[in-house]
Amino acid sequence: MSKKSIVSPIARIVLGLILAAVFCIFAAKLVDPWINKIGTAKAKDVIWSIITLIAGAVLLISGIAELVRSLHFNRMVTNSGMQVKKVKHATIGDFFKKIGAWFANAGKAVANEFKDIVQTFRNGDWKTKLSFLVMGFGSIARGQVLRGILFLLFEIVFIVYMIFAGVHWLSLLPTLGTKGPSVVYNEVLDQYVSQYNDNSFKILLYGVLTIFFIIAFIYTWRLNVKQNKISEEILRSGKPLKSGKDDLRSLVDDKFHATLLALPLTGIIIFTVLPIIFMILVAFTNYDGAHDGYYNNLFTWVGLKNFNTMLSWKAVGGGQSYAATFGEILTWTLIWAFFATFTNYFLGMFVAMMINKKGIHFKKVWRTILVMTIAIPQFISLLYVSKMFAKNGIVNGTLIALKIIDKSKPIPFWEDPTLARVMVILINIWIGIPYMMLISTGILMNIPADLYESAKIDGASPWQQYRKITLPYMLFITGPYLLTSFTGNMNNFNVIYLLTGGAPANSAASTAAGTVGYTDLLITWLFKIATGAEAQYYMASVIGIMVFAVVAVISLIVYNLLPSIKNEEDFQ
Amino acid sequence: MASVKLTNVKKIYDNNVVAVHDFNLDIKDQEFVVFVGPSGCGKSTTLRMIAGLEDISDGTVEIDGEVVNDLQPKDRNIAMVFQNYALYPHMSVYDNIAFSLRLQKMPEDLIFNKVTNVAEILGITDYLMRKPRALSGGQRQRVAIGRAMVRDSKVFLMDEPLSNLDAKLRNQMRAEIILLRQKLNTTFIYVTHDQTEAMTLGDRIVIMKDGYIMQVGSPAEVFEKPENLFVAEFIGAPKMNIVPAELVNANGAYQVKLFGAAIPVDGDKGAELARARIPGRKVLLGVRPEHIVLSKEASASSIPVTLEVNEMMGSELHLHAFTDDGTRIIFRVPTIDLTASERAGLVNGAKLNVTFEGKVMHFFDPETEKNLLYSHEY
Amino acid sequence: MMNKKKFTSPIIEMLIGALIAALGYLAFKRGGYYYKLTALTGRGVVFYILAALLALGGLAVIVVGITSLLRVSRYNALVESGDRAAASSLDRSMGIKAKRALSNTFIYVLLVIISVIWLIPFICIILQSFRVESTSPVGYIVPQQWGLANYKNLLNTNFPRWYLNTFIIAIACAVLQTVIVLCMSYVLSRFRFKLRKPLMQFMLILGMFPGMLSMIILYRVLKDLGMTQANAVPGLILVYIASSGMGYYISKGFFDTIPKSLDEAARMDGATRAQVLFKIILPLSKPIIIYTILTAFMAPWADFVFARYISLNNPIGMNVAVGLNTWLSKDQIDSMYTTFCAGGVVVALPVTILFMLLQRYYVEGVTGGAVKG
Repeated sequence: MSKKSIVSPIARIVLGLILAAVFCIFAAKLVDPWINKIGTAKAKDVIWSIITLIAGAVLLISGIAELVRSLHFNRMVTNSGMQVKKVKHATIGDFFKKIGAWFANAGKAVANEFKDIVQTFRNGDWKTKLSFLVMGFGSIARGQVLRGILFLLFEIVFIVYMIFAGVHWLSLLPTLGTKGPSVVYNEVLDQYVSQYNDNSFKILLYGVLTIFFIIAFIYTWRLNVKQNKISEEILRSGKPLKSGKDDLRSLVDDKFHATLLALPLTGIIIFTVLPIIFMILVAFTNYDGAHDGYYNNLFTWVGLKNFNTMLSWKAVGGGQSYAATFGEILTWTLIWAFFATFTNYFLGMFVAMMINKKGIHFKKVWRTILVMTIAIPQFISLLYVSKMFAKNGIVNGTLIALKIIDKSKPIPFWEDPTLARVMVILINIWIGIPYMMLISTGILMNIPADLYESAKIDGASPWQQYRKITLPYMLFITGPYLLTSFTGNMNNFNVIYLLTGGAPANSAASTAAGTVGYTDLLITWLFKIATGAEAQYYMASVIGIMVFAVVAVISLIVYNLLPSIKNEEDFQ
Repeated sequence: MASVKLTNVKKIYDNNVVAVHDFNLDIKDQEFVVFVGPSGCGKSTTLRMIAGLEDISDGTVEIDGEVVNDLQPKDRNIAMVFQNYALYPHMSVYDNIAFSLRLQKMPEDLIFNKVTNVAEILGITDYLMRKPRALSGGQRQRVAIGRAMVRDSKVFLMDEPLSNLDAKLRNQMRAEIILLRQKLNTTFIYVTHDQTEAMTLGDRIVIMKDGYIMQVGSPAEVFEKPENLFVAEFIGAPKMNIVPAELVNANGAYQVKLFGAAIPVDGDKGAELARARIPGRKVLLGVRPEHIVLSKEASASSIPVTLEVNEMMGSELHLHAFTDDGTRIIFRVPTIDLTASERAGLVNGAKLNVTFEGKVMHFFDPETEKNLLYSHEY
Repeated sequence: MMNKKKFTSPIIEMLIGALIAALGYLAFKRGGYYYKLTALTGRGVVFYILAALLALGGLAVIVVGITSLLRVSRYNALVESGDRAAASSLDRSMGIKAKRALSNTFIYVLLVIISVIWLIPFICIILQSFRVESTSPVGYIVPQQWGLANYKNLLNTNFPRWYLNTFIIAIACAVLQTVIVLCMSYVLSRFRFKLRKPLMQFMLILGMFPGMLSMIILYRVLKDLGMTQANAVPGLILVYIASSGMGYYISKGFFDTIPKSLDEAARMDGATRAQVLFKIILPLSKPIIIYTILTAFMAPWADFVFARYISLNNPIGMNVAVGLNTWLSKDQIDSMYTTFCAGGVVVALPVTILFMLLQRYYVEGVTGGAVKG
């Protein structure tokens, strides 16, 4: 028997209290104009008050209820005199211990590799020792010609590359070029022409590639050394070595996975990993439109300067400080991701359950209508809807024609900050519900019927059955999906950009990096900075890295929070 | 008191498929009744009608003398254990068991006592705070039983609860169910397709086929006095041997003629036949494998057979043989009764002679498949 | 074990009904206020309708509450008198018949509203594409004059070129991406090698970086290779298929459902791993193959960011999304709005039809593999 943990309810209570405090702030803002009869409450404050009130109340009430229940339960356990097992809590300490252990293991692995290399040299025969210098020699000498030639070829290519290019790029890497474009006198044309010299971009790119190449070479060299050791052991035990034909055959059999993965992984490394590493490095340079590295000035390393700029609270050249802007946009991004994810989730489930209910006919028709909207390319829907709600768009036009609003005062759907934010969330619901409905339908149909039957026998009403079986079961199954959906929404470029382009503009928050809008996400801000007039790629990279950091932190927390709570009781 | 009475109960589905025909049964208080039969025989359907999970097309179901046809499952004072356990995956074992009690708004203190008591009886106290997916099959079984036990209901319904367990565990759980039954004062209605479970657990067995009751009786009754061919073949393993034969009445003394032999129907069986005035006629003769014995030498009352397969079962041999005209017969011989040389002689192709006594014979009408001596209308 | 029912539920129902009716009254008052203003009479009418609905709804809920009240008292009386059968059947009908009819009607109404809301934008766009009396965005929906002028206009612009571009990209992606994704998913599902888990985690982390970040450098590289602007099509194809391996999740989920014993049986029969894939697994994977081809085909029609960046304002290299978007810019929108609608219809129609035909596989893919989690 184990006692119930009170960590979760206490956490909820604390959060609830915090939210309650925040609510009080907003409520004060609301009450003030009402008491003093000056001005009107801002829509923003009303919305925030309601949200924080409801959320805070829910957390507080559920937390207190759970706490009371757990304490009561624990008291009963103690009074019963049963043997109580200790429950291990996953703490933050454990988390750091895990990281430490990971590093320790990595260190040990590296040390083992070194030991192995040294031993192979000492114990190996002359063929092995020679292979340390001439890769593939050992394999060729032992009859595995195919492998040997491949190794040797690789070494030759590497050495040639290093001599003719590698060293050159590496040498320029620390400075990213020294001679920028200059203007020289061209005698033939009898005028001054620009002469382009070093190319920072190419230096960075090829420098990184060279480093990759070096790493690949070290790995292959290590493979070569290992090959020798293994070959020696095989020969010593009297077995024959694999021939070239064997190797080829294994490529379609036990090593088939390597064959299949070769192309996809290469693609990923070149087109995803490399650009990301490159862009991470760019964050430490001053690469922008004015310093593009070739046509205009060179760019060079600036260390952590960009990060300092981003996180500094000092106002920069006619606008808000970067840190403040970043904070604002980050807040909206998180709020947006939260609402976008959970509204779609619950409403999609609700629609799925409605259609699935006994007694509803034409189920296929309803589903088809909704599913059809998935097929239509999103940009058409979004662009058109965006125009629909414009000041001179269809919606306002219809409302004016029906005399629901005044001709001179069309509803500023995209011009009012709060309204724009609400609209964006609503239209995202329109886009997202069909997909969520599909998933929910699939899951609902797979809930075992005997769970409901058992509940019926126990006396549960339909509403209780929904609360205690359907809802928890769905959350149980789609938990991971919620997380990916949340992080996906944080980076949901299309919806925001095509609907509003980030508008309406938030002039107060604009920084030297360009104008920022009230509906801008971190990622649309990134896009604007990178494609704006000044093309400040380095700032875009910094934002990109910070987005990654936020997403990674959230994912880590959720992954470590959920299973540890789930496994708490399983831990005995 | 928790007797269960089914009167003329029928189940007809929307497409006019009749799942249960005219089911009549009187279950006494605290009796352990087993519904057994092959898949699709209607046993689960009947159970679910008793539970209230299926509508009753016709007839009445009474629990404790009260007609429950219109009562909701929760009002019938029953508890049910499902084949797939039906445990709520997101709740701990404790919450699973406490679920129904919480729905009744019982105070938490009382719930705690009841749940821990039940857990102790079933030996699952250590798992109370785990979730179902962290439990093995047998443990989940116990939780499902615990959930039913804690409701203190008068009638326990069990729908093939052991089907999902491996053989060894099944034997173990069978024993535990018997022990459980001794502890609780409830009526048990148990559904299974396994005749061994039915024989070991039931006070009475109801054998069903295609929606009809084939026979109702105690394990001894259905074993010794099968009322029709289906029951005779269903109960007992290996299956009873059924062969066509001729029953000859020679002035009050009966004989069966088959495969060239004439075996007298001696003892009480002959007297029963005489009492019932069964004439000489063609019959289907049933003899269980364990009742066929080896004759040392051929005689007028022994049947010559050729041995085909010899299965070594440990304490006995199962011998598969066939008669001169190819009819297959299985019989069992205790290993201990054979000498080493006799054992050695039991190989493929060995010619043997077998016979049996009158008291182990069962006579069935080839058309109606009914036992000539014992019959009953359900 | 039959308990008496409490009266709380019916009382709450009646209170809610009263509340709704009260809201209806407030709406009525407000409606009166707006109705008097000539410019906002429509709004007044809306409020009047709302008031009527609320009042009716509130009344209905109150009636339901009263009937629940009566039923509860009858139920309690029956329980008291010991007539359990009658009480139980009353309980059953209380829960099922009365409320189900009400909630079903409510649900139907809701579903109709939802269907209308979901379809309206598309109906609008189709209608607008036939408008010939003007080409700028207007405030009304139904055209005053119908015609095919906008569709004909499409042929005068770069639209055919964009369409062809996108089509080529879509076909190339459909084929190549499918191959790559299936390779990746198959390996991750079937093989257990040392780097498997680290590889999956690595790709998970890679996915946390905003994809846009790599756009800039990819553009420079493609530029050097001559695959940008006018030549954006090959560049885009390369970019799309190269990292498509990272989208293995759903396909892998599907492969996981094929029992490994099939592989093992085939290998015992002497098949190499490659033969197992081609002869056994792939024939069983028709749904997921079609799903992958379908999604790979549909994606390029919708991509905006990458296509825009790589084609960089050169109309020859644009895809339909970018191209159509240019018509909505401030200087073009007045003349090209209706043409945009026509273009939208032409783009959406084939893709939608294809999707509807293969809908079954899409649904299977989503519900099967997406949530294996």
